Amino acid sequence: MQILKYLLLACTLVFTSVNAAELFTVAIAANLKYVFDDLAAEFKKETGIEVQSIVNASGKIATQVRQGAPFDVFMSADMEFPEGLYKEGYAVTAPKPYAYGVLVLWSQTGADLSKGVAGLANKTVGNVAIANPKLAPFGKQSVKSMEYYKVKAALEPKLVYGESITQVSQFVESKAVDVGFSAKSIVIAPETAGKGKWVAVPEESYEPIAQGIVILKHGIDAHADSARKFYEFVQSEKARAIFAKNGYKLP
Amino acid sequence: MLSTEDIQAIWLTIKLASVVTLLLLIIGTPVAWWLARSRTWWKAPVAAVVALPLVLPPSVLGFYLLLAMGPQGPLGKLTQAAGLGSLPFTFWGLVLASVIYSLPFMVQPLLTAFESVGERPLEVAATLRASPLDTFFSVVLPMAWPGFLTAAMLTFAHTVGEFGVVLMIGGNVPGQTRVASVQIYDHVEALEYSEAHTLAAVMLLFSFVVLLALYVWRAQANRGHSHG
Repeated sequence: MQILKYLLLACTLVFTSVNAAELFTVAIAANLKYVFDDLAAEFKKETGIEVQSIVNASGKIATQVRQGAPFDVFMSADMEFPEGLYKEGYAVTAPKPYAYGVLVLWSQTGADLSKGVAGLANKTVGNVAIANPKLAPFGKQSVKSMEYYKVKAALEPKLVYGESITQVSQFVESKAVDVGFSAKSIVIAPETAGKGKWVAVPEESYEPIAQGIVILKHGIDAHADSARKFYEFVQSEKARAIFAKNGYKLP
Repeated sequence: MLSTEDIQAIWLTIKLASVVTLLLLIIGTPVAWWLARSRTWWKAPVAAVVALPLVLPPSVLGFYLLLAMGPQGPLGKLTQAAGLGSLPFTFWGLVLASVIYSLPFMVQPLLTAFESVGERPLEVAATLRASPLDTFFSVVLPMAWPGFLTAAMLTFAHTVGEFGVVLMIGGNVPGQTRVASVQIYDHVEALEYSEAHTLAAVMLLFSFVVLLALYVWRAQANRGHSHG
């Protein structure tokens, strides 16, 4: 009986805390984790509006939005997820590219990166981590780049898959893999800068990784003014400079 | 319908859970026996360490195992020196991680079973000049075997349902570390809901049938026990 009482108490606590005050919320793809603090600080300086961010994989965010998650703006790691939301009426603006992700090779075990992607096929290089190409745009382009240099088949046995670019970072940082295909925004972030070595993957070997932003239906319903202002801000010169400084290419 | 990758993932899961259950029966039995019989002061700390995987979040445990098993980690250096290569992203790496992660699920039920045997049968066996090993196999084992069954069942089920640890140290390599739980997760992430549903349904059904069979068997055994 005691246990039942406690359970009931716990349930009430949970349900009451869910209804806490709602802030203006931007759902962001995992690779934006580092750049977003700068963006939010600059946005607050200009407008006085406080932004709360939710970091997750783009696909998970899209699924959560479909299930009624209270997000106002969505900054994705690709164009497809926001496109899907727009088509189904969960987003009120067509996806607009705000930045392009830059693919890099990153190693903390002293692997030889001087020969680029083609050099990964070398016997001296051990396991290579990529983000799951089925789920992550960066993973898809990593595979494109391997195909471009015709080393995909040779690399196949050494490949391990992280569920996202974030997990690739964990594999590289724990030195469990020799090399990982990562994002420039990650390797130059203050948390990781100076750890190991990285080289950019030549741009001709993969398709540009365009990242799109949309205003979500919830944003227009709940925080229309903040959502519109933020959407404008992300495309402003100030924001572009922040993206450039953080390792993104600009549209 | 299930794709070949799905079937490969299911087979790998069953293989992993079987190997882990077998290894843990071998490792867990002496540990639980020692915990049940020993009177030393450091019994409590050991029991606490054994139970730790219950409280550690799987992804945390997985991350530290990745650090330890990597080529630069202490375990990794050991395995490489022994000529076993590097363990992360391999089947045996998953086995090692699962053995650590499922340890309490093997040890706790065995401990309870051994404790419920009590002192008396052991004293009787000792007065009849049975060696400790003989006592264990001819007195304790017949009395505690439902505990073994529960422990093996829980360990197997727990390993089948493992996800966080596998995701951290597995690297999602087909045929090596892409177990069913990860495969379902991939389907969901890729918005392939019907494939996810099919695989999840198969897993559920399989687990239910196995657990049901074991519980029925146990119930009958217990009835036989009380009549005997």
